[in-house]
Amino acid sequence: MRRVAIVGAGMTAFGEHFNLGFKDLVPMALSEALASVDKGMNRSEIGAAWLGEVGSTDGHGAGILADSCGLLDIPVTRTENACGTGQDIIRQAIYSVASGHVDVALALGADKVRDSSTAITFWEWMGITRDQAWDYPLGLIAPANFALHVSRYLHEAPATREHMAMIAVKNHFHALNNPKAQLRTEITVEQVLNAPLVAEPFGIYDCTPQADGAAAVLLVAEEHVHKYTDKPAWVLGFGLGLDRLMHQHKRDMTSFPSTIKAAKQAYSMSGLTPKDINFAEVHDCFTGVELITYEDLGFAEKFQGHKFVESRAHYVGGSKPINPSGGLKAKGHPPGATGVSQCVEIFEQLRGESHNQIDGVRNGLALNIGGPTAVTGITILGKDKPGA
Amino acid sequence: MAISIGTYLPPWGTEKARVVGFDEDALTMAVEAGRLAIGDGATVTKVVFVSRELPLLEGGNTAPLVAALRLSQDVEVVEQIGGAPAVLSALASAMPGTLVIGVDAATSAGAAAALVAGSNPVSLVGRVQRGLPQRARHADGKIYADEDGRVMREMGVRGSIEAAELPGKPLVIAGLGARDAASWSAAGAPALPTQGASSVLFAIAALAETGQSGLVAAFEQAAFAAANVDVSGSTVRRIERPVQPVAKRKLNPGENIKISLPAYTRAFDSKVRWQAGKCTKCGTLALPPRHYCLGCGADDSWEYTPLPFSGTVYTTTTVHVPVPALTTPYTMAVVQCDGSDVRCLMPVTDVPPGNAKIGSHGRLALRRIAMRTGVPDYGYAFSPDLPAEGQSGGAK
Repeated sequence: MRRVAIVGAGMTAFGEHFNLGFKDLVPMALSEALASVDKGMNRSEIGAAWLGEVGSTDGHGAGILADSCGLLDIPVTRTENACGTGQDIIRQAIYSVASGHVDVALALGADKVRDSSTAITFWEWMGITRDQAWDYPLGLIAPANFALHVSRYLHEAPATREHMAMIAVKNHFHALNNPKAQLRTEITVEQVLNAPLVAEPFGIYDCTPQADGAAAVLLVAEEHVHKYTDKPAWVLGFGLGLDRLMHQHKRDMTSFPSTIKAAKQAYSMSGLTPKDINFAEVHDCFTGVELITYEDLGFAEKFQGHKFVESRAHYVGGSKPINPSGGLKAKGHPPGATGVSQCVEIFEQLRGESHNQIDGVRNGLALNIGGPTAVTGITILGKDKPGA
Repeated sequence: MAISIGTYLPPWGTEKARVVGFDEDALTMAVEAGRLAIGDGATVTKVVFVSRELPLLEGGNTAPLVAALRLSQDVEVVEQIGGAPAVLSALASAMPGTLVIGVDAATSAGAAAALVAGSNPVSLVGRVQRGLPQRARHADGKIYADEDGRVMREMGVRGSIEAAELPGKPLVIAGLGARDAASWSAAGAPALPTQGASSVLFAIAALAETGQSGLVAAFEQAAFAAANVDVSGSTVRRIERPVQPVAKRKLNPGENIKISLPAYTRAFDSKVRWQAGKCTKCGTLALPPRHYCLGCGADDSWEYTPLPFSGTVYTTTTVHVPVPALTTPYTMAVVQCDGSDVRCLMPVTDVPPGNAKIGSHGRLALRRIAMRTGVPDYGYAFSPDLPAEGQSGGAK
């Protein structure tokens, strides 16, 4: 298997792009990614492409990527793996390059959440993503889906809603410098705690906003990397883990087993341990999810995530910055694009080009949790060529 | 020679009149009362379901009723539009093994059921079919009312009682307002919580609890029936939680959520009859049943096994944001079934939103989970035990 690196990465701003359609956002992200390639890349050099899209806007996703980006002569596949979609298309693109089948692959994620009214968008999505007989009629909306975990977590762990609020405050703070972020306003713990409730224990500031956006990365085989850049982001490891689909089948809801499985794969492939990870972009669709993820990734001991929060290690400048981009919470969350945008952030961090640059970064981990907390995708990128 | 009676009052409303919960209808209340009347495994060969608020006029009340009561699918079911006299008549003519259920879901809501076990201790004394239609309800639900208490009292009630030539004053009269009932019945007649189909069974339940056998009468406008009831050996089980004001909730605008009829029908025996799939090779339970057994890997080798109607909250959340076509706020919980490793995600019922805590114990009650393209989608909901008592409801 060939080693693989990201040589170019780009994304649109995340936010409510009422004036841009899916067919605009997709080519915008690709153009940004191509423009970021230091020594230049022509789109005709791309050998295969994956489109990650969770919703379905304007029809056939693979066709839209091919048509809107002028990539009619290569295979294009659309993948949907809930909110794990972004990491999953990167994983599939890595396979295609590592196997020797193509030298350059594109992974492009996008979603156009705000093409339907804010009140119904996610409820409509639930209609096609929930068990029709058992879960859908209960009104198991996305926040409730995660709240069931976090309620149990707060019951068993010493953490409180304040620790969750501190995560929201941190992610908003990180987004202040990110020109691509949707919410660039500072908030306080009091604001978070006093905000209207969405699904207990989440208030409105515990939740990601609804965003449109697209992000793209270009993956290249090791022998061709030097043609494009001297500062690639090497793929060190990746993993995709699954868990029981229905909440009633999850025995311990204080963690996300899909994350533990994906992390095991990614750590083992990279030879890294949780301690070795310099920083991470994780799935904070709801604040409590980031809190549990600290533990699932091994950044904190079981039920000790609150101490990690209290230590402020998770700020840029701390020992293990989490979500320097602002995370889903403040950067925004167009589901198909989110995972790819996390790798855009890591690419920029490793090259020393981030809006929130972390000193001395050698690697970073990206993570998404999706569906009814049933899938986690992880990608670990690093400055140094693996095994070199 | 005995009857077994179950009564159910929704926990909402005022001391004077209970109202149905947002997740209840005549069918869910019929199941509540029916299950109490049946108790542990009594044989039921026929069900007479009497109400003027049958949830559906076409499309099936009987299948969920039979499934939720765990009756055999070949049981005879009569769906009858009627009030208290209809219920008393049905009870008097019931063969052993007949379950008569009366439900009121419009005003003064409640349900009661009586199962005749052995020879029937209810014998009809008189029936009077007189018309004095002060209230007229049409198939479209529209009600025309010209209610004049004196006309009904003097012309309707007095006229029918005189026509019936009763041997004496009834011990209790169902179907009348409290004042009228008191003036036409013997001293010490029990007060009744409802006035429609269920009221006469509430009346018999009250007599059974005080051991009074004798004459019971029932009115619906001027229509009348009376019967002698021997309550010896009868049992009464009630679920009548203390009344509380109707919780503040809002039905959000939006179209009913869609139904997949094949998915609804496939899930029905598990969801409404409340059964898990049990592997015939290794005994592993699955809710809903699975083709591939997670315990031993057997393919398509399972049979239904009943689940308990009680459990404990493992985790919970309350949704506050408006969700189209659903009533918010609502609480849901993952409930661990008692004595079983089966859990189920279900709504919380009978308490205001946010009142099920992790570790709370309660019973599982059939509720209307959602309306789906006009079809009531029934399933089980968690009803937390009352704080003081161990178990809510149960035998009294």
